[in-house]
Amino acid sequence: MALIELKNVSRTFGKGDERVVAVDNVSFAIDEGEVLCLVGESGCGKSTTGKIVAGLLEPTRGQVLFDGQDISKLDKDSFRRYRHAVQIIHQDPYASLNPTQTVRQIITRPLLRHHKVSGRDGAEKRAIELLEIVDLTPAHDFMDKYPHQLSGGQRQRVSVARALTVEPRFIVADEAVSMVDVSIRVSLLNMLSRLQEEFNVTFLFITHDLALAKYFAWEGRISVMYLGRIVEDGPTRRVVMDPRHPYTQALLSAVPEADPELARRKKRIQLRSADIPSLLDLPPGCTFHPRCPYFVEGRCDAEVPLLAGIPEGGRVACPVRKDVSIQLVE
Amino acid sequence: MSESQQVILNHEAGSGVPLTLRNVSIVYRTRKGEVQAVRDVSLDLHAGESIALIGESGSGKTTLGLGIVRLLVKSAEVTAGEITYRRDGKEIGVLALNKNALREFRWKECSMVFQSALNAFNPVIRIWDQMRDTAQSHGWKDKKAIRQRSLELLRFVQLDADRVIDAYPHELSGGMRQRVLIALSLLLDPQVLILDEPTTALDILTQRTIIDLLRKLKDEQHFTMIFISHDLAIAAELADRIATMYAGRIVELGSSDDIFYRPRHPYTLGLIRAVPKVVGDFQELFSIPGSPPDLIDLPSGCKFHPRCPYATDRCREEEPDLETVGPDHMAACWHWQDVEKELQTKPLHSVA
Repeated sequence: MALIELKNVSRTFGKGDERVVAVDNVSFAIDEGEVLCLVGESGCGKSTTGKIVAGLLEPTRGQVLFDGQDISKLDKDSFRRYRHAVQIIHQDPYASLNPTQTVRQIITRPLLRHHKVSGRDGAEKRAIELLEIVDLTPAHDFMDKYPHQLSGGQRQRVSVARALTVEPRFIVADEAVSMVDVSIRVSLLNMLSRLQEEFNVTFLFITHDLALAKYFAWEGRISVMYLGRIVEDGPTRRVVMDPRHPYTQALLSAVPEADPELARRKKRIQLRSADIPSLLDLPPGCTFHPRCPYFVEGRCDAEVPLLAGIPEGGRVACPVRKDVSIQLVE
Repeated sequence: MSESQQVILNHEAGSGVPLTLRNVSIVYRTRKGEVQAVRDVSLDLHAGESIALIGESGSGKTTLGLGIVRLLVKSAEVTAGEITYRRDGKEIGVLALNKNALREFRWKECSMVFQSALNAFNPVIRIWDQMRDTAQSHGWKDKKAIRQRSLELLRFVQLDADRVIDAYPHELSGGMRQRVLIALSLLLDPQVLILDEPTTALDILTQRTIIDLLRKLKDEQHFTMIFISHDLAIAAELADRIATMYAGRIVELGSSDDIFYRPRHPYTLGLIRAVPKVVGDFQELFSIPGSPPDLIDLPSGCKFHPRCPYATDRCREEEPDLETVGPDHMAACWHWQDVEKELQTKPLHSVA
């Protein structure tokens, strides 16, 4: 049984002319201990999806199942258990920590509040353990620091340690390493991977950075979102090495590579339009059709393509191209 | 279409060395002490080349860019060095320019494109007025000619010029604003363009259109450009030469291929090993231990030594200068030969 499952989840914001469908009929399941990466550009609905999974936002339609139970039907106690089991780590470590609290307060308060430990000494001991788990060592040196005395990477580690206070089974990491310098990013990612390996924490990793998604979810899966819909998903290796949806292909071909030779050899996929449609006025049929180089008139602009499984693994929402592989490098 | 665009811009690449930095140091004065943001930087920028300054936050790359166009905040001061600008046989000492001369210099000779395209515009005036103001304050009188030039430039950056020119900044997407800003920077046909994180905060597909546009400026119009970026991939895509900066200094300088395939400074090597590629098989990544130095209280000796796997006592005591490590390739490291040896046993890039 999946740990988290979304069934036909949609979320709209606003009313009338201002109505925006941020998430449109999204379904996926994540098994315990698995990593799923949600990738896409800004406005694709990936963060909204993450908030729905974390229980911070209610879907307009559809169901969120946790351990097979519909979370909208949980009683108060079960809902609280669910909210503890699912923690979210936000992008901005400068905004997500209370600047007036020390690291000790940030970590020990939730431990005491939720009765995870007995007494001050227990809280202190557990806080030290948690800081060690997130590689803030020697932990004692960090206990009395305020967030402003820490670097971006260290703050993000404190955010993770705080999330761990309630012993989550599931972590939603929303652009969690995007604001951190390149040289430190990898160690943060490796630390998160270790939580998955050692504590069997399940991850929904949300990012706009395909290279990071590939690195973090190499053993897991990737889902690509475009304008509120999942257009392709599957095992990371398959999605990255053999993308089928024209949007996934366009993304992978557009990403600049930190290797001059590779950058020269990479094929460019020319889109028919550079502009992303407004969420207020979405194109009919496949929403990628105005930009898609493989556009078939009367088909792509007429019907919304459904995700269909492919033998190589995963699903592709493009009946025109789902069985065609392309070379990304010459 | 591209032929007519070449006629429009008609940019003359110039020749020689338009910009020379000699031993430039810049500090910020703060209550806690002096922040040594740029230390003893020397660099020659050749006509028509694009050079990327790479490094992490706090490495001094943006401060250096702002220093060149003299846009530093009041608390900052160039404490040493010379910046010399040349065009048509004339030499200008940038640091000695008075207010009026500086104003001329900034748009006509050297213009800068900033990171946050939204903040760079006045939100209550239309694109046309921003372009007109800029042209008029530099002595253009003929409004019709200004409009003509503005439209041509907007078209060059692949915008729907007739619509965009009468739009307000908030009516444009991030990528469109960035393109307008690039068009604006070209308005007075400067010789040198400085671009600070030109594609940061843009979506992937938008980022690609900006990279392709900048490449066009480089390959077809031969602008002399300085890219400032924390993103190695942007440097790999656009730079002829790359300067790695750490703790305010250039620690390695070489051709793009030298930097990516034959790095000699452990910090450059560390950066390359930390950045994943999208195409190809899985590659292991390594982070650089520790964190960037406190610029008020810099470490002794080589500023990278606390994070460096090669560090020895000498590194803790003496700061290395840039030395030649290959043809047109320099690195500031006592142990660059060890880096070379290690790369022979552990190559950097598995060929896809």
